[in-house]
Amino acid sequence: MADPQLKEKVEELIAANPVLLFMKGTPDAPRCGFSMRVVQVLETMNVDYGAIDVLPALQPLREVTTEIADWQTFPQLYVNGELLGGADIVEEMFDSGELAEALGVDQPAEAPQAAPTAPSGPPQQSPPLQIE
Amino acid sequence: MAADLAELKAMIEAALPGAEAEVSDETGTGDHLLAVVRAPQFDGLSRIDQHRLVKAAVKERFDDGAIHALSVKTDVAR
Repeated sequence: MADPQLKEKVEELIAANPVLLFMKGTPDAPRCGFSMRVVQVLETMNVDYGAIDVLPALQPLREVTTEIADWQTFPQLYVNGELLGGADIVEEMFDSGELAEALGVDQPAEAPQAAPTAPSGPPQQSPPLQIE
Repeated sequence: MAADLAELKAMIEAALPGAEAEVSDETGTGDHLLAVVRAPQFDGLSRIDQHRLVKAAVKERFDDGAIHALSVKTDVAR
């Protein structure tokens, strides 16, 4: 069973962040290819998002997400409080335009890039969130 | 223990009657797999729920460590 305090913290974060990514590593330094792919899609969409590095508390967080979303693997992208999916689903939904719809943004013309170029505007990315 | 691709296919097709599943080994190491599943049960479900059905079908093989990562692609059979 998941740690109730951690579960409450996670639920608060999901409620407080309309777009929240649980990932291995950070957006600047992803430590898993699947996490990196979701970061690339989000950067391409140019949306604000919160990111949580799950590696410091991988197993406790796995227990939490199993309880709240019936999903054990990371990355996990939550949009407006609901789990949208992991890397496969996020990429499929990006390709089909469903992701832009879910995020309430326009579908970008460009495809996600392997090495994202610096955005011309102000940085969109939120600082990494910390789980105690 | 390496994953048995034929067994995984059978587990998915047994859990989702009428489904067609193809399970392949993406890396050749037996632990990063791809399942392409076409099932009538997916009709009307979100992608996450479609993937949940597939993962639930092979949960035992995650639990015993035979599978480390399973990519899933789903399609609605009509």
